[in-house]
Amino acid sequence: MSTKIDPVTTEIIRNAFISIAQDMNATLIRSAYSPIIYEGKDCSVALLDNHGNVLGQSLGLPLFLGNLQVCVQLTAELYGWDYFRPGDVFYMNDSYMTGTHLNDATVFAPIYWKEQLVGFSASRAHWLDVGGKDAGGPMDSSDIYQEGMRWPPTRIYENNKPREDIIEVLRRNGRFGFLLVGDMNAQVAAGRTGETRYRGILDRFGYDTVMAARDEIFRQSEVLEREAVSAIPDGVYQAEGFVDNDGLGSPPIPVKMKVTVAGEQMTIDLTGSSPQTRGPVNCGFAQTISAARVAFKLLVNPLRPVDGGTFKTLTIEAPEGSIFRAQEPAACQWYFTPLGLLIDLFVTALAPAMPDKAASAHYGDSMVIFIGGVDPRNKLPFLAVEPTPGGWGGYKNGDGQDALINNVNGAFKDLPVEVYESKFPVMLKNYGIRADSGGPGEFRGGCGLYREYSVEADAYTSLWFDRSVTPAWGLFGGKSGVGPDVALYTPDGKEAHILKVNAKPIPNGTVIRTHTGGGGGYGDPFKRDPARVRADVLDGYVTVQGAKEQYGVVIKDDMSVDEATTAKLRAKE
Amino acid sequence: MGYRIAVDIGGTFTDFVLADTDSRTTTTGKVLTTPGNAAQGVMTGLQQMVSDPSSVDFFVHGTTVGLNAFLERKGARVLLIMTAGVRDAYSIARGDRKTLYQVQYRKPERLVPRRDVLEVRERLRYDGSVLEPLHEEDFEPIIQKICAEGIQSVAICFIHAYVNPAHELRAREILNAALGKDVSVTLSHEVSREWREYERASSAVMNAYIAPIVERYLSSLEQELANFGTDAPVHVMQSSGGVIRAKTAREIPVQTLLSGPVGGAIGGVALSKATGRPNLLCVDMGGTSFDMSLIIDGKPGVSNETEQQGLPLLLPLVEIHTIGAGGGSLGWLEAGALRVGPQSAGAVPGPACYGRGGTQPTVTDANLFLGRIGTDARLGGWMQLDYDAAEKAIHSVASQLNLSDVDLAEGMLSIINAKMADAIRTITIQVGIDPRDISMVAFGGAGSMHAVWLARELGIKEVIAPWSPGTFSAWGMLQTDIRRDLTSNFFHRAVDTTPEMISEIFDRLVTEGQALIREEEVPDEDIYFAMSADIRYIGQEYVVTIPINRPFDIATIDADFHAAYKVRYGHSTPGAPLEFVNLRLTAFGRLESEVMGFQPRTDGANPVKGTRDVYFDGVKMSTTILDRDAMPIDTYYEGPLVVDESSATTVVPQGYSVHVDPLGNLIITRKD
Repeated sequence: MSTKIDPVTTEIIRNAFISIAQDMNATLIRSAYSPIIYEGKDCSVALLDNHGNVLGQSLGLPLFLGNLQVCVQLTAELYGWDYFRPGDVFYMNDSYMTGTHLNDATVFAPIYWKEQLVGFSASRAHWLDVGGKDAGGPMDSSDIYQEGMRWPPTRIYENNKPREDIIEVLRRNGRFGFLLVGDMNAQVAAGRTGETRYRGILDRFGYDTVMAARDEIFRQSEVLEREAVSAIPDGVYQAEGFVDNDGLGSPPIPVKMKVTVAGEQMTIDLTGSSPQTRGPVNCGFAQTISAARVAFKLLVNPLRPVDGGTFKTLTIEAPEGSIFRAQEPAACQWYFTPLGLLIDLFVTALAPAMPDKAASAHYGDSMVIFIGGVDPRNKLPFLAVEPTPGGWGGYKNGDGQDALINNVNGAFKDLPVEVYESKFPVMLKNYGIRADSGGPGEFRGGCGLYREYSVEADAYTSLWFDRSVTPAWGLFGGKSGVGPDVALYTPDGKEAHILKVNAKPIPNGTVIRTHTGGGGGYGDPFKRDPARVRADVLDGYVTVQGAKEQYGVVIKDDMSVDEATTAKLRAKE
Repeated sequence: MGYRIAVDIGGTFTDFVLADTDSRTTTTGKVLTTPGNAAQGVMTGLQQMVSDPSSVDFFVHGTTVGLNAFLERKGARVLLIMTAGVRDAYSIARGDRKTLYQVQYRKPERLVPRRDVLEVRERLRYDGSVLEPLHEEDFEPIIQKICAEGIQSVAICFIHAYVNPAHELRAREILNAALGKDVSVTLSHEVSREWREYERASSAVMNAYIAPIVERYLSSLEQELANFGTDAPVHVMQSSGGVIRAKTAREIPVQTLLSGPVGGAIGGVALSKATGRPNLLCVDMGGTSFDMSLIIDGKPGVSNETEQQGLPLLLPLVEIHTIGAGGGSLGWLEAGALRVGPQSAGAVPGPACYGRGGTQPTVTDANLFLGRIGTDARLGGWMQLDYDAAEKAIHSVASQLNLSDVDLAEGMLSIINAKMADAIRTITIQVGIDPRDISMVAFGGAGSMHAVWLARELGIKEVIAPWSPGTFSAWGMLQTDIRRDLTSNFFHRAVDTTPEMISEIFDRLVTEGQALIREEEVPDEDIYFAMSADIRYIGQEYVVTIPINRPFDIATIDADFHAAYKVRYGHSTPGAPLEFVNLRLTAFGRLESEVMGFQPRTDGANPVKGTRDVYFDGVKMSTTILDRDAMPIDTYYEGPLVVDESSATTVVPQGYSVHVDPLGNLIITRKD
């Protein structure tokens, strides 16, 4: 591109790209049907140029960072760049192309200006149900065909008109067809928002100027990223952890990571991680790239918007046929469990190089509970699906947060007790913070929580709780948090502890009590200021006994610190 | 007949507008705000402006007393009492993250630490039936704690109290009986009749947190006014954009929390009425922030909930959208690129031209350098502006980019203007409105300095710089009605809903609303209502609030919902099943609200103060400087020109003309 461009025009166009992506995201989130989109932020939007490079992306779910362009590029690889026509909108969900599970719908559309292909709008959002053997997605699938239908890039609009036949196939293959079509419409609308705004920019500045600005914007991003990576000391950094199992009773699944920093380049190598599993914890490589980019972004220029100049310093490697680069017909429904772990491991690996920016591991996974059945109040079927917050890791000069949603789960809000009980035949009589569950440290790990469901219908439950094999670990002498636990109390007086199960029938009167883990501690707990330990005891995050055993701080009956005994206890260690 | 007075107590100044209903004249005044006791400043101003206190018929004011206590975290210590088993709903705060790429994330700082959230045993089911009665003995240790620790304020939030408030009401009786009236008790259902226990508890806590402070302030003001000889009842502006009497404000003071910030929109409503323009975009550009609000069909956008510093508040609030862009926004370099904002020079050091040690160029420095404002503009505390410092700051950045100083200064303004225009696009798109169809009202220190460029970028045809922008809010308050908002949870599928069910709820709400407005001493013929419903597609979370009217008809409501949804989101799904969530009634009491313009000087003073060189599009132009106070009604001027007044500067480039309308507003339009 030879057009000269001045810094003022470039900056105006750069801000406009960011604003366009935000408007697309606002359109999608405000009009989506599924809570998993509007609160889970299980969605992502991007404005792409005519080769699929990111012009602007809005930060929805972290895990979708940077894999929309892949969908456009793979489509062009299959059919050629001249395959697109004005008025097209495409849908695709094939896990081995998009990287994620089949519920994640990628919708994209070419954008034309003066009869020229100038770019694409693209979005991805989680649809609640796309068929498959169990509502909302199975937890025990052993191949992808049990999870729903695979769609290659398929036109759902032609000449700006919906292809009703195709949309009807989609609708009939989801258990909540109206929701599915509603979410699809929200994605199409988000694309239209992007198209209108992008054409406005082209009308104002012209194509050549906008492309010259694009090149300059990409250059700026690349320079800033190179500077940031250069500032990390060169070296090889490693970490390792385990997913509990694949949901089908496998042994713990290792995830290994080696991060090499050499000058301006960083490589994340996942060699040594588990081969793909029979159970549904696999993903396509596109999704691994996304997760690695999320991890990278947490520590490198986290506030800078993503564009086509970002991630040029980052290389990601994963062996073919591993859980991170799975091959057909690997099951992918719970693909994100190893990815949440991958992100924790990356931060841990780099902690020695970036001790001020890192944090200890968090409680680790979405900790999902489904309760479904028929509501005796109105005889209609119901399905309550929710992830559960837990504790985050401590960090330099700060305690980890108590009861916060996990790293791959966007901005999910818990369902209020009042709303839950109104919508579902279930009471939540106990919901609270789990004392002493946070990993002890000079900076404490956050506490997990408990949530108790009293089910007032014959129903079934599915559970996906992980991270019991390697609960949130500490850093620099900090200790691990307590892991998860789920207890089922049936009316016959029996108690069972289960972390993962698929569609287990439960009789009316069953009580399920879930517990999520705490975050890892940071630094030696015996160095924690006794006044902070006392404050935690007053607030109930740490018990008197926990204070003594974990922190060596003795709290007297009047709630003051017994300085002498504390000093003695701490000296012993 | 006599005086109607509005007072807007801001952070720095307390502004007055006094309408004399006999002589039909309006005058304005301004005194410094007295931070310790804001009532003192109010009295100082009144003493200056009012010769006969007994002739004051109406007194309304907007105050930031409660908001400041909240923002500075100087409210009362609050004890929160919740249902046993779920008290941690407040501390968990729904567990969500508001920013995603942050391993060291922190939740918004709540107002009550976990140790001060206590439990009593009681439990209702979702339909309001009692599962477990209130254990009254559980209050004994709580009462002891309140007495022993001298706690002033208590908030109570029980599960499902929005359906059945009996346990909350009984709890207050118990506390009042034991503690008397010295301890303020807030019940969650009285603050908000909506579900979601964290949001309702948070709302109740916020009320409890500021209640003792607002109570002290209002008592003091009422006492001072009585001493002064005024017996007009004191009215207070609410966040919802309506007014209530102080007596009512005391019951739920959090309703007045944002009475200051919403003032601009209230001015916009009054301007809409006064000038017969139903749709307005109000923009307020100050030192650090750019606030936008929309007036559609003469009404402000009102949302039914908000967040303040990350803490939810379930109360109606005039919608104000804010981005970080203002006169203090800094120009800076990154990777060889020019950025402007969102960082701000703030008040200290402030722009380079304030001469307080700032060396980086700000938007204000750019405006000064280009001649858009003069060195005698009264910014940031009345000092003379330092042109050389501005030039030096501009040059320091321009030289690194190989740009001329003029190009850099104009470039900084173009970038900040484009950001503001993008923000306006966002809010107008979200409500399905084309900015080209509306007029822009610009105020705040820098609003009318930038407005023409924003309008140009957005295709807006008309910019209005209102008369006396410093007292625009207070002027609006004089023309605002009494307002009370009532809500009833109404969680039903549309297919299961009959008109009778809706009617029954509204019959009750209307009776309650009428009683509330009568308490404000409004005669029945001046009471009117607006009914609306929160509806969504089954499966959705966000509701769309649509107006509904008698006779209720489900098919009409259904069609109206799809239509409203389509306007807002660009698509809808006719045939998809709907559900109701809440029914809402807004009860109004009409107040006298004749619009009176200001009195321009008629001494024939020359409005032309002189000329100054001003840069427009890189060209230096000799530009007329006008004194706004001397510009007669119904006169026309051609750009380029700059209009000076005490609290604002209006810049009009060539190709635009200005008309002073009969109310004293400057109407700026493009020639051709």
